[in-house]
Amino acid sequence: LTIFNGHVTVFDEIQQISTLFNSHGYRRRVIAQTFRLVIEYFGSVSGAAKMNISRKSFSLITAAAMVTGMFPLMATAQGDACPTAQDSYVIGFANLTEDIVFTQLVRDGILAAAEEAGNVEIVLADNRLDGATALANADNFIAQGVDGVIEFQTDEAFGNVIMSRFRREGIPVIAIDIPMPGATFFGADNYNAGRLAGEALAEWVNENWAGEVDAVLVLELPQSGPIPAARMQGQLEGLQDNLENPVAEENIFFLDSKNTQEESFQVVSDTLPTIPDADNIVAITINDGTALGVIAAAEAAGRADQIMVVGQGADPSGQEAMVAENSRYLGATGYFPEDYGSYLVPAMIDLLECRAVPPAIYVEHVFINAENVCEYYAENWPDYCTTE
Amino acid sequence: METTPSAALPGRPAFDAGRWLRGDRLTTLNLFVTFLIICLIFASQAQYFLTLENFVNIGRTLGVVGIVSIGMTMVMISGGVDISVGSTAALSGVVTSILWLQAGIPLGIATLVGLAACMLVGFINGFLIAVVRINPLITTLASFSIVRGLAFVLSNGQTNQLANPAFQFLGRGEIAGIPASLLLMLALFVLVFILMHFTQFGRNLYAIGGSAEASRLAGIAVRRHLLIVYTFSGFLAGLAGIVIASQLASSAPRAAVGLEFTVIAAVVLGGTSLSGGKGSLIGTLVGVFILRVLDNGLVQTRVSSFYQDVVSGAVLLLAVGFDQIRQKLTSSVRNRS
Repeated sequence: LTIFNGHVTVFDEIQQISTLFNSHGYRRRVIAQTFRLVIEYFGSVSGAAKMNISRKSFSLITAAAMVTGMFPLMATAQGDACPTAQDSYVIGFANLTEDIVFTQLVRDGILAAAEEAGNVEIVLADNRLDGATALANADNFIAQGVDGVIEFQTDEAFGNVIMSRFRREGIPVIAIDIPMPGATFFGADNYNAGRLAGEALAEWVNENWAGEVDAVLVLELPQSGPIPAARMQGQLEGLQDNLENPVAEENIFFLDSKNTQEESFQVVSDTLPTIPDADNIVAITINDGTALGVIAAAEAAGRADQIMVVGQGADPSGQEAMVAENSRYLGATGYFPEDYGSYLVPAMIDLLECRAVPPAIYVEHVFINAENVCEYYAENWPDYCTTE
Repeated sequence: METTPSAALPGRPAFDAGRWLRGDRLTTLNLFVTFLIICLIFASQAQYFLTLENFVNIGRTLGVVGIVSIGMTMVMISGGVDISVGSTAALSGVVTSILWLQAGIPLGIATLVGLAACMLVGFINGFLIAVVRINPLITTLASFSIVRGLAFVLSNGQTNQLANPAFQFLGRGEIAGIPASLLLMLALFVLVFILMHFTQFGRNLYAIGGSAEASRLAGIAVRRHLLIVYTFSGFLAGLAGIVIASQLASSAPRAAVGLEFTVIAAVVLGGTSLSGGKGSLIGTLVGVFILRVLDNGLVQTRVSSFYQDVVSGAVLLLAVGFDQIRQKLTSSVRNRS
C-alpha cells in the first residue's frame, strides 16, 4: 500500500491513529485526525487515481480509515461523555521563574497537590520570565503529550500565541495571574488584595496618629502593566477611603521601586530629604522586598519612628520583619502561594473530566500581621509563636 | 587622559602634577563643570536639593557604585572589561549570610570568606583572560551568569535578614556626620590613585591597555598584572556587595542586578577609554557623582521614572560626545599649528 514514492502511507497513518488512540490523552485528537483523513480522501476527485493505486485498494483504505475513526467515536458516544477523562493525567506546569521564593512555593504546592490527588503526574518547566521561553516550553508540553497545562507567564503577547497552540491540540489551560485568551484564570484578586493592606494601614494610622498622615510613599512598578497597578490602586484607595483625614494629592509620592530592595532603598533615601517636616509617613509597596527597602532607607536616615509600611505577599522575609521588635512593617496581604496547588490541580482535573469550572478562580487574601502570623505560618516562627 | 602607551613604559617619569593640571585634564575639568551645572539646575528646581541631609543621603547611596567603579577603571585601563561585578557583589552577601546564619560562623569571619569567594571569582576571570586568553567580554559574561546562578543555588533564591548593628554600620553608619560607606569609597579612591600614578604597577597597567604585546616585549609581566587587576576587581565587587547587604540588612541573590551597566557608564563618563590605555580615576569619581546626583535630582523634582532613564542616557551621550568633539577640535588645531 505504499504511495507517493516513499512518502507517508495511508496504512502508516491509520496505524499511527490506532497507536495514538491506545495511548493516554489522545482520544479527541484521534477522532479529529481520523475525520481529516477520511474527508481528505473522500473529498478528492479521484483519490485512487491521485494515489496511483487501484480502486479496490482505495476502498479498502477508506473503509479501514472509517472503521478506525468510528470506533473511538462510538466508544465516546456509548460510555464516556467526556473525551478527555482518563484514569490518570499528565499535567504540564510552566513556572514564571524558579528564582524567587513566591514561585518556588507555587511549584511545591502544585507538586504536593498532585501527589495528594494520586493520579496526576506533573511535568515541570521554567518560563524564566520570558515569553519566548514560555512558547518553547508550550511546544515541549505538546510534544510530551500532556493532558492539561498550568501556565504561569507574564507576556500577554506570547499568551495569545501559546494559547493558539494549546487550543489547536485541544489541551485545556489554566493561566496564573496573567489572563490568557481561552484559559481559565487563576490568581490574585489584585485590587482587593491591595485594598486589604490599605485599609489595615488606615486603621493603624487612625489609632496611632489620630488619622493624620503627612506623606504617602507609593512604591510602585509602573513598567509591569495593569496587574501591579491594580494592587497599588487598591492600597491607595483602601488607605484614603478609610483615613480620618485623607492625604492631599501633592503629598503622595509615586516612586518606581523597579521591584528591587536596593532601588526602593535609593528612591526613598532621595525622597525623605524633601519632606523634612513630615513626622507621619506611610508607605504602600508592591511586595515584601520593596517594603524592606523602604524601612532600611528610613532607618539609615534615622527616621524609622516616623514611618509605617505595608506590603503585598507576606513571604518569609516579610514575616520576619513583621515579628521583629519595634517593627515598622505593619504587615502584608497574604497571597498564600503554597496553597495555589490545592486550587489548581483539582480545577485542572475538573476541566479534564468535563466538570464545570468558573472562568476565573481567585485566591482568598488575608492581611497578615504580627498578631495573626502564627495562625498561618506558626511553623516559620516557632519562638515567636510560642511566646505569643 | 593619563598617558599614552609608549610614555607609560618603564622609565617614564612619575606623576607630573603640572602636566596633570594642563591639556588632557580638560576632560575631568569639563566633567566637573557638567556636575556643577547639573547641581545648579536641580538646586533651582528642587527646594531641598542643596541641604546637608540630602548630601549625606547622596554620599550614603554613592558608595556601592563608587567602590566597584574603582576596580572597573583599572580593568578598563588595562584594556579589558568586567561584566560580572554585579553578580559577584550578590555572591559576597549570599556567602556571608549563609555562613553566618546557617553555619554559625562569626559574622566577621563570614564576611572575610565572602570577600575571598569574590576574589576567587576575579582570579578565575583573570586566569581565563590572561592565561587562557579568552576575550574579557566573553569571560566575564560567562562568569556573570555562572556567579549569579551560584548565588541563587546557594541561597535557594531566599532573602536572608542580617540584623546585626555592627554589620549595618558600614552601610548606614556615619563618622563625624559623613557616611561610613562614602569614607570607605574615598579612602579606596586615594589608595588606588596613588597606586596608579606613583607606582610602576600603575604605569604598567596603562602600557598594557595601550598595547599588551608592546608591553610584553618591554619586559612587563602582562599576565601577572591582569591576574592582579581582575582579582582586585572581584574583591571590590565583593566589598560593594557587603555594603549593599549592610545597608539593606539583608542579602539577596538578586542584589546588584544591573550594577555593571551603571558602573561602566560612570567609568566611561569619567573619560576612560573602552579600548584601554586611557583613563582617570578622578574622572571616574566625578562620573559616579554625576550619575548619582542625576538620579537624586530627578526623583526630587518628581520626574517620571521613564524619563529618568532617558535623561541619564542622554547626559552620558552628551558628556562623552561633547568631549570627543572637543578633543578632535583640539587635535586639528594642534596639527594646523
